[in-house]
Amino acid sequence: MDERFAPDGTARRSSAILSELLDGIGAEGLEERQRAAEAEILTMGITFTVYSDGDNIDRAWPFDVIPRIIDGSEWDGVEAGLVQRLRALNAFIDDLYNDQRIIADGVFPAELLADSANYRPECRGVHPAHGVWAHISGSDLVRHDDGQFYVLEDNLRVPSGVSYMLENRAVTKRVFPDLFERQSIRPVDNYTDELNRLLVSIAPGAKRNPQVAVLTPGVFNSAYFEHSFLAQRMGAELVEGDDLVVGVDGVVSMRTIEGLAPVDVIYRRIDDLFLDPEVFRSDSLIGVPGLMRAWREGTVAIANAPGAGVADDKVVYAWVPDIIRYYTGDEPLIPNVPTWRCMYADERRHVLDNLRELVVKPANESGGYGIVIGDRADDATLRECAAAIEADPRNWVAQPILALSTVPTIVGDGEIGQRHVDLRPFILTGERSFVTPGGLTRVALPEGSLVVNSSQGGGSKDTWVVDVEGGGA
Amino acid sequence: MALLSRVADRVHWGARYIERAEDTARVLRAFGDLYVDFPVAAGLTWGPLVAITGEAPIVSDSADRGEREVLHRLIADASNPGSIIAAVEAARENLRTTREVMPREAWLAINQIARLARDEAPRAVGRRNRDWFLTRVIEISRRLDGVLESTMTRDPAWHMWRLGRLVERADMTTRVLGVRAASLLRPAESLGADLADVQWMGVLRSLSALQMYQRAVRGPIEAGDVMRFLLFHEGFPRSVRSCLVGIQSEVLALPDPREVLEAVGDALAALDACDPEASDGWAIDADMDRLQVSLVALDRAIISRYFTW
Repeated sequence: MDERFAPDGTARRSSAILSELLDGIGAEGLEERQRAAEAEILTMGITFTVYSDGDNIDRAWPFDVIPRIIDGSEWDGVEAGLVQRLRALNAFIDDLYNDQRIIADGVFPAELLADSANYRPECRGVHPAHGVWAHISGSDLVRHDDGQFYVLEDNLRVPSGVSYMLENRAVTKRVFPDLFERQSIRPVDNYTDELNRLLVSIAPGAKRNPQVAVLTPGVFNSAYFEHSFLAQRMGAELVEGDDLVVGVDGVVSMRTIEGLAPVDVIYRRIDDLFLDPEVFRSDSLIGVPGLMRAWREGTVAIANAPGAGVADDKVVYAWVPDIIRYYTGDEPLIPNVPTWRCMYADERRHVLDNLRELVVKPANESGGYGIVIGDRADDATLRECAAAIEADPRNWVAQPILALSTVPTIVGDGEIGQRHVDLRPFILTGERSFVTPGGLTRVALPEGSLVVNSSQGGGSKDTWVVDVEGGGA
Repeated sequence: MALLSRVADRVHWGARYIERAEDTARVLRAFGDLYVDFPVAAGLTWGPLVAITGEAPIVSDSADRGEREVLHRLIADASNPGSIIAAVEAARENLRTTREVMPREAWLAINQIARLARDEAPRAVGRRNRDWFLTRVIEISRRLDGVLESTMTRDPAWHMWRLGRLVERADMTTRVLGVRAASLLRPAESLGADLADVQWMGVLRSLSALQMYQRAVRGPIEAGDVMRFLLFHEGFPRSVRSCLVGIQSEVLALPDPREVLEAVGDALAALDACDPEASDGWAIDADMDRLQVSLVALDRAIISRYFTW
């Protein structure tokens, strides 16, 4: 789907703004703004890390200056769907760690839970505030040829990218100040405020001014920029595992120049398995011994709660429509991408017979690693893939190869081409829900490419949810 | 506002490194000026200047080569921790990891100076772009402090920053005087009285002190007066006393500073023991050594009190 032009060649209603932008300033003007944006990114210190990149631990963020436009009336439906989805997923996680009604009722297979790499028995019986485990999530959406948004996957552990969404907007505002004056573009800036509100709301004992800390694996982590950014925007402390200590009384404190100071809420950006060497991996150097004990005793709140990842595995994904129906009684508002589950013989047969036409994904990888796109893989890769599926069917799912929608993107000196994009909105779930208007648009820069991950040559765009006068679609 | 020990450490070092970059830029700018004024026959060379970063002086067979070599070492050599480019990178790395306590504008300033250093430092080794580059380094470093001065809460992070700036500045003043002492020790540079005055003038300019010296002293440039001004003047912000008094007041604003205050007291005592009339290199050298040792002890006291647990 071309997001700018309808199949009959007319510009879509919401993209009038884009035509104004592209036709108004010309190729040279566009190049100039692109350069201005890149300079701005360097000055603002917007960087990301690629592990394979040797010494260069922070690289300038790849950004395309042409914004991606989404019609506000369409977005309202997506937003409602995401709120519904995350409410249901949280109810699901809470149920799995407590009564397991959904298994008793035969809606979700017990053996899936037993095999799940992200299920943490250590979390059984815990009741986090508001029954919420995945407070901060990012669901990846793609737009298919039918114009419909589909959820491609949910990220419920430590989703990243929101800082880039915010910085992309800050850069665009500086580069196109004139456009913002004349358009009704939904602001995204209040995200960190909403996040702060959410984190404060889960503090144990409803404390009035709780100490919030962002827990980072450290300066070498690929998302360190974001950890630092979020701490700064919330006035929170940015802590590493070494900065925290759990007392015998179960109180979590940070080491300050005035001695130990208590911490009430931890927004952790460390994977479960590294959180607490006493409970999970004992070789973790970035965790905090005793943290799980403190959390279970309720002296500290952790977002996202340990164990929340049980619901973002790519196999569980296939059950999400059923999960939504089970907990809300409603039909899902945003569809899933059709997904074949290799654990079932008939579906596995279909996958193995149609590898060329499918995208095959391992259940528990993130960042686009391990994915095989059938029509682009060579025979050897497909054979290896088939063998891997046969060896461990539970760990694989497959989906049709989607034609990701395309948007105009700068591809050379002032040249504009169509490139594929996805979208990661961020959803906050607490007592109430909040969805970022739009989200982080990632763009696959090489022509025809469908890989949008910034670690693999993807770029990004500012995303404008635009309210067009007259309303209605 | 509580301040994490780890963050305190990084803020302090961020300030030290940016001050180091700025001070080195000041010294190089002044020396470049002086060098151009000096008759070739006087044999003034860049070599000894490397000593301000604590390394052995560079000896070179040609003055031109010496100049390039020294300036490369002090401006563009990333492997020399005392070079401007390395100091700027280290400052940025420290600020990159303390963004949550520093005003956002400070982060923009540090990125700006880091870009400048990466893009321009290699070209600043030659004479054509050098002065412009050094001036930019000084300007951005000053702007950074201006941003903090006008937008940062006077919390422990602020005092830690101020402390880092002042410790490094005191250190630099003693090092510049130490280099002057060393040059007095070399017979080849036992110059005529006029040129000796010019050299003391160079010392004042290296520390951006010439004009203030002239206003304060109202007399010719004489060794004893220069030493007295740079060591003891209470109002001049780069004098050792002024830095130490500043350090004392920053430390007093930090929690439970007893042991650090004692170390400041020791440094002030070492300062009082300096003899401004000492005209031979050996005496100045010994005085500066003692002062530097007391600054190292002060540093240790800060580290053990605030940065370690």
